Amino acid sequence: MATAESAATPPTAQPTRIGPVLVAMSIGAVVSIGLGLFGRLHHPTGVAINLAGFSSGLAVKTWLTTAAFLFAIVQLVTGMAIFGRIPLKGAWLGPVHRWSGRVAVLLVTPVAVHCLYALGFADFSTRALIHSILGCLFFGAFVCKMLVLTRDDAPGWVLPVLGGLVFSLLAALFATAAVWFFVYRGFTF
Amino acid sequence: MTHRSPLLTLAAVAIFFAAMLTADFLVHPSAGSATAGAPSTTPPSPTSPSPISSASPAATPTQPASTPATSRPITSPAASATKRAYQDQFPHKVVYAGRSEDGHLAIAVAVLGDRAAAYICDGRSREAWLRGTVDGDSLRLTSRQGYRLTAELDDGRLEGEVRGDGRHWKFEIRPAEKPAGLYRAKGSTTTVGWIRLADGSVVGVATGADGTSEAAPPLGSDDEAQVDGQTVQATPVNGDDEI
Repeated sequence: MATAESAATPPTAQPTRIGPVLVAMSIGAVVSIGLGLFGRLHHPTGVAINLAGFSSGLAVKTWLTTAAFLFAIVQLVTGMAIFGRIPLKGAWLGPVHRWSGRVAVLLVTPVAVHCLYALGFADFSTRALIHSILGCLFFGAFVCKMLVLTRDDAPGWVLPVLGGLVFSLLAALFATAAVWFFVYRGFTF
Repeated sequence: MTHRSPLLTLAAVAIFFAAMLTADFLVHPSAGSATAGAPSTTPPSPTSPSPISSASPAATPTQPASTPATSRPITSPAASATKRAYQDQFPHKVVYAGRSEDGHLAIAVAVLGDRAAAYICDGRSREAWLRGTVDGDSLRLTSRQGYRLTAELDDGRLEGEVRGDGRHWKFEIRPAEKPAGLYRAKGSTTTVGWIRLADGSVVGVATGADGTSEAAPPLGSDDEAQVDGQTVQATPVNGDDEI
């Protein structure tokens, strides 16, 4: 059960194996490519299920992504603390890291579904193309990280790299969509 | 030793993802109006399966999406159009112009090659310039303000809808013969768009540097207009214009 805590003690005497990590990466790659193919081949509808109370589907997505990004910052801080990179200690680090991550991914999942279903894999501008590629990569990287978390025998550098990758991808997704929305549409709900 | 909690997280996300996607497939025709508060009579015009997507296993779920839609009478023309849609092709250069079904908007769509530009306006204050691309027999355009126009060819006419500002308008418009069409002019600070309809009437909106919009100045038969105190020449808009 203790995922983050186990990661906090990487230097065990246990020999490390890269094989399972490669398997996890392969599965993550399949997820990324699968999402990209779906987004490309499914004819975008332009509309999808949305939350009420916002001015548009884009506004909903913008605010969900913004909230997710805030949780991702919590992820970054607690993740770095778990690996001793910043002087924070406590039994709360693991649970906070896990639950902030779960909330973040819970928030971006409906965003991604809307992107895939209503908009598809878009290449009408550089921003849209980058965003589409990163969106597919994000879920692949997330799947890969979850799978690696189940193993104790992964090399110690794998989790920080994957965690950093997931965070960077989310930050880039946030920048290529939500920030863009705020710039062009103003700070609206 | 292995840990199971990340797998549970993964499974929960996958289930949530699948549930959202399934809900979209089932509810989609009316779902978009949940935020818009608009009546849910939207036909899923752009969803008719293309030859490419129906050939791929990943896209097979698009079939259920059209199933609930067939119960709506409004979609039957689109469904019957699907068969010959494959043969429909946009002319290399064409402009469609007309009004939305409710008459609120004038709509003009210019196509050149695989690029498309469109202008919508109500002649008073609402206007948007949209850009997009041609994909076979369908078009998808977006504006900076978030308006979206989707349309497809149906027997030479352009049939589709505009969404934006929490509303949506359906339209079916025809190719415009000059002098009908889409025109644009720039003054020192003001940008004006006009749509000249087949009956000779002109609908337009002018937007100044401060972003406020008003009814466009009259467009003369010589395509000249008074903008920002000067006489300017309005030019026809092509599908590949940077608007």
